Parts: sequence; structure tokens; C-alpha cells
Amino acid sequence: MADYDDFARAQLPRLLRYATMLTGEREQAADLVQDVLVKVYRHWARISGADHPDRYVLRMVTNGYLSWRHSRSARVIASGDLPEEARADDFASDHAAREDMWQRLSRLPKRQRAVVVLRYYEQLPDSEIAGLLGCAQATVRAHAHKALASLRNGLAVEQMAEARETR
Amino acid sequence: MNIENLIKDTFTAREHDAPDSDAVLAAARQRIDSRRSGLSRPLAVAAGATVLTLGAVTAVALNRPDPVDQSQTVATANGSQDSQTPAPTAPAPAGLQMPYSLGWLPPGAVAYRAQRINIGSSAANPEAPLYGGEYMLTVTAGGQVLEVGVQQFRMVPVDQAMFKSGPGSPVTIKGQRAVESSVSTGPGGYELYVEHPDGGSMYVHVAAAYGSTAPAQQLVDNGRRIAENIQFPGTTTVTPAFGLRDLPAGMRICAFGVQQPADRPGPQATTSYSLGTCTVQPTVHVNSAVVGQPEGTPGQPVQGRETRYADENGYHRLWVLGALEGAPVVIAGRVPPADLYDIANRLVLPN
Repeated sequence: MADYDDFARAQLPRLLRYATMLTGEREQAADLVQDVLVKVYRHWARISGADHPDRYVLRMVTNGYLSWRHSRSARVIASGDLPEEARADDFASDHAAREDMWQRLSRLPKRQRAVVVLRYYEQLPDSEIAGLLGCAQATVRAHAHKALASLRNGLAVEQMAEARETR
Repeated sequence: MNIENLIKDTFTAREHDAPDSDAVLAAARQRIDSRRSGLSRPLAVAAGATVLTLGAVTAVALNRPDPVDQSQTVATANGSQDSQTPAPTAPAPAGLQMPYSLGWLPPGAVAYRAQRINIGSSAANPEAPLYGGEYMLTVTAGGQVLEVGVQQFRMVPVDQAMFKSGPGSPVTIKGQRAVESSVSTGPGGYELYVEHPDGGSMYVHVAAAYGSTAPAQQLVDNGRRIAENIQFPGTTTVTPAFGLRDLPAGMRICAFGVQQPADRPGPQATTSYSLGTCTVQPTVHVNSAVVGQPEGTPGQPVQGRETRYADENGYHRLWVLGALEGAPVVIAGRVPPADLYDIANRLVLPN
């Protein structure tokens, strides 16, 4: 199984970063990827023969995230309390804006967050995202649209941009 | 900066939060090796035994008698701790209840990983948490090793079932609509989605482990029989390596995971908890499957044990050293260090 080890070592950094973006938590990301590595080992004969084992494993991480931690809780999260609207000058630093965005991302429903991560972090086209999630491209676009709408809600950076445009 | 660029920048800025690759690979390797090692004596059961069907108030780890006194800390059905928690000198943590039980498993020795997670609340009763769960089992008998997975998908109706081995075929399981994989001879094994009366589906997967073989019909028969005998609500409890008592107000166990190798019952089980209000992502994670060596600097003693503490850009981690037969337990989250110490003092550690 040397090739399994080689594959795992080569893919792990990317998978762990991806899982971190999905889960938002280091421990959960480690847990999620660890589960996937064990499953990959169990089915290595089949996975290693796939056309794109890396993409297959990325899908396993995605499915693990969506299924195990996926839920109606996502809806609860989405409808949870949003931070109070902030004034533009509250975000004096980029750091603050990113922290705010990170919190907003954590409130997205799981599938919407997966689409956002795949689109803006993995930078995959919608067609590939649809393949990974097992849904239509239109569904991906719908998730992305809803996610961006949620993320924009009360976002100071948008207010700043709008303010600049109206000057 | 537009919102899309802000999202990209946010992700990039968080890359440093990713766990260490070597540590995760080592932990995965440990789990793989433990699965491959002899799965023998403790959970061996006779043919047809109801391995996971347990009395509601009988605290046992799967089919293994549990020595734990019932008066001690109990994880209740809603994930919070029993208000009648006894003194902190409780000798060992008691069982954690799964949301559903497996009434039948193929005969053999069983190693398992069981997980439960809060998945929100019902529209009818927003205050009552709903839980989903997953069993990952390795059943060994007569040189044959089967991998069995059972998982609840509340958000995946049977119509949206996806199979590793191509399109599914409709079937009926105890009067419920179901779809099963049409090809069970491949390495993907047998898969089945059966409609759940409350919505969504139950997923059952049975496959021969890598290096083992099983006739396709055996996988089909086992998978169907497992599905036929899933029981709601769950009465199965799993015994964690450590427990938690008297969680702070408003905090619940949103998720737990217990992994128990068949040949090493007892405190060697690895256990994890995710704690929080469960209406947003859990805020504190407690885990005995420590990845890598404890880092940071010496912290304040907890329950007579040394600790180490690290702060990585606001992500705090507290290791309680020697908590479980010399092994540490880590408590982590983006919360004040005092909160981590608070949880650490609520750990129920075996004597």
C-alpha cells in the first residue's frame, strides 16, 4: 500500500485546507479528513483505479461534510442572529472584515457553504461543482446566489462600495 | 474590494488553521492498523444475536456488559447532562445514547465507531433537538471481514439516492420504499437507501473489507436484514473513554463520537465531543484522539493533572496530560482560555 501512502501524503495538505474551509474548525477538519483517509484505505483498490482519484477523494470529503454534519441545523444557523450591522469605519482593517466574513460563512447552510468554498477557494467551475455535489449546475448557481445574498446582508464592505458608487 | 474578493481573501487568511498533515496521517494510520489487527473475543456474538439492541436503561457498550454504576453521570437523550449528576469522583463515564439502534448484525466480532450529532430541531418543537447518527462497524467471522456502515440522512430522500456502483433498483423494506444498488459484486459493495417515516432516508452499506471476500448475495442479504431491523428511537448506548458533567448553562453536547476496537474494550476507546448551544456551530471540541504531541506552554493543573496550553491566533487549545492511561485529552475552541479550563474541570475521567 505504498502508493496509498504516497497518495495520502500528496493530497493531505490540500484536503486539510479544504476541510478547514468547509467546517471552519481545525479539529473537525482533522476528524473529517481522518475519516476519509480510513475509508480511502478500505477502498483503495477501487479509488486508485479511478480516472481522477484526487477528485474522487475531494468528493468524499465534501460528502462527509454534507452528510455527517449536514442538517437542518444549517437552517437554524442560517436564521440565527446575524451580527449587528456595522458601520463602514468599524472595519478599519482588512483583518476585521475577514473575521466578520468568516463568521458569516459559519452561518451558511452546509450545501451553500460547500458551493462557496468550491467556487471561491477551490476555484472550480460550476460544472465541476455540480459533478462533485451530484446536482445540476442550476442548483449550484441557486446555492451560490442565496449564499452571496446571505453574506451580503448588512455587510459593511458592501455599504462602503455602494457609498463610493453613489458619490 | 467586492464581496467575492473578500470571500477569497478570508479563505486564504484561514489556511494557517489547517491541521498538520503528518499528525492526521499518523492518526489515520493508527485507526487503519487497529482495524486490521485481530478483531476477536470481546464482542463476538452468536448468529443472529441482536448485537446492538439494548435495553433503554441498561448502560452497556454495544453487547458488552458495562460495569458502570447507573447513578453516575449520564448523557441524556437531549445531549445535556443529567441534573442528578453525582460527585466528581464518579469512577467512569456512563453510556451515551444513539438516536437509533441496529437490531441485527452479521455474526462475528465487532469493532465500531459510533457518532451522534445534533441536526437541528423540528419545526413543531424548536426546543427539542433532533439527532442523527452513524455506525461504522467492522465485523469479523471465520476469516471474513465485512465493513458495515449505517447512517441517517434526514435531508436525502430515497429519490435522491446516489450509488457508488451505478443506478439503483427500487425495492421494498418492511413496507418502506427503498432503493438498492443493482451491482453488489464490485468493491463498492451493497448499498441501500430506505425511506424514513419522518423524512429523509436510512443508508446501509455492506462490503467486504480490503483483502477479504464475500458473495454478492451475502452482502445483499445482510444489508437488507440490517435495514429491516433498524429501530427508532435508539436504545443503544456506547461507552466513552471519558465523560462530561454539569455543562455550563446553555451548553449541550451537540455531537459525540466513540471508536472502540474489538480487541481493546474499555478506556482505550477514543472519544470526542462537540459542545455549544447547537444552534450555531459548536464552539468547544473535546477529544481523546489527540493528533500530534501536545504543544504550547505549561498551563494550570486540572484535576491534579498537568496541562499544556497554546493560543494560535485566538484558537485556544488545552491539553490535560495523562488523562486517559497516560494519554492526553485536548479541549479546543475559539473561546477564552477560562472556558477551556472550565470544561476541563468537568471532565469525568476514569480512575
